[in-house]
Amino acid sequence: MSGRVVVVTSGKGGVGKTTASANIGLALAASGPSVALVDMDIGLRNLDILMGLENRVVYNLIDVVEEKCKLRQALVKDKRLPNLCLLPAAQTRDKTAINADQMKVLTTELKSMFDYVVIDSPAGIESGFQNAIAGAEEAIVICTPEMSAVRDADRVIGLLEARKEEISQYRLIINRIRPAMVKSNDMMSVDDVLEILSVKLLGVVPEDDDVIVSTNKGEPLSGSSDNQKAGQAYRNIAKRLHGDEVPFLDLDSLNPTWFSKVVKFFNPAAMRV
Amino acid sequence: MQILNWLFRRRDEEQNVRVQAKDRMRKMLIHDRLELPPDSLVSLEEELIAVVCRYFEIDRDTTRFDLQQYERKAALVANFPLLRSKT
Repeated sequence: MSGRVVVVTSGKGGVGKTTASANIGLALAASGPSVALVDMDIGLRNLDILMGLENRVVYNLIDVVEEKCKLRQALVKDKRLPNLCLLPAAQTRDKTAINADQMKVLTTELKSMFDYVVIDSPAGIESGFQNAIAGAEEAIVICTPEMSAVRDADRVIGLLEARKEEISQYRLIINRIRPAMVKSNDMMSVDDVLEILSVKLLGVVPEDDDVIVSTNKGEPLSGSSDNQKAGQAYRNIAKRLHGDEVPFLDLDSLNPTWFSKVVKFFNPAAMRV
Repeated sequence: MQILNWLFRRRDEEQNVRVQAKDRMRKMLIHDRLELPPDSLVSLEEELIAVVCRYFEIDRDTTRFDLQQYERKAALVANFPLLRSKT
């Protein structure tokens, strides 16, 4: 087996890398393929919490690298899906505990075991980020429609482009978009961000209070079909990553107003964000 | 009538926030990508105008000098309206 190694990155912190990793990992696994989620935020481990697996962590990624345990021993099986595993980060170490070559060895072993290896990168563009992308073949760049997040995303895209031989493609997720603010011209739209960054779009995720609730429960939103906003967006993203063509979410249909209905009636394309 | 003015002005201002952000963003990223010092464009503009002025009389009021974005690359777009030849 030779799986696909996908790194989730952003430059800026707090834009939703870990949430995206958890949701994409769970949605991918739910549709069949085997998935390993790798938390590369050494010292600031969080992916285990979002997955609700924090009580099952015994060994971690650094233990594997330092040969204190076998890779299989460190992999935490998901409680919902048998084909989903988490490789947790070490909480009491720092980013110098692993280097790029060790990361490449690790991802090579992981992709021989799983269809997808989804790597959650730390914020920043220093060693932690460099290690996270070391073994990756594809990248997902996350940004929100805020100037600071877009600027940092652009920097990351520049760094990814410089590694074209290893990272064959990168695509953008625009997270936490607020359709009402876009409509009142108070926030950059999806098209604005795409035009500025000139990248391919993988998905658009609307702002959704349920994301916080789902973190508190340790149940990523994409896991059940109840959530029609962020959860649905992540299920669509997982399908697109897998190669399916899925139309982008019509964000206005999530909370339609009489005005949006009228506009949509006359010009359906105008309202698609 | 005043209410109408107020309404339209408010809309314009609101529109500006999004458009402003986009314009600032675009300029900032062009400079970031080129690692361009902020004042280097000004001196380039002055030098270019000086060169063109050796050959032509130009309309300084409508001379335009701009960095534009084409995909992930930047282009220097200059427009020197020529009035007459000096040669």
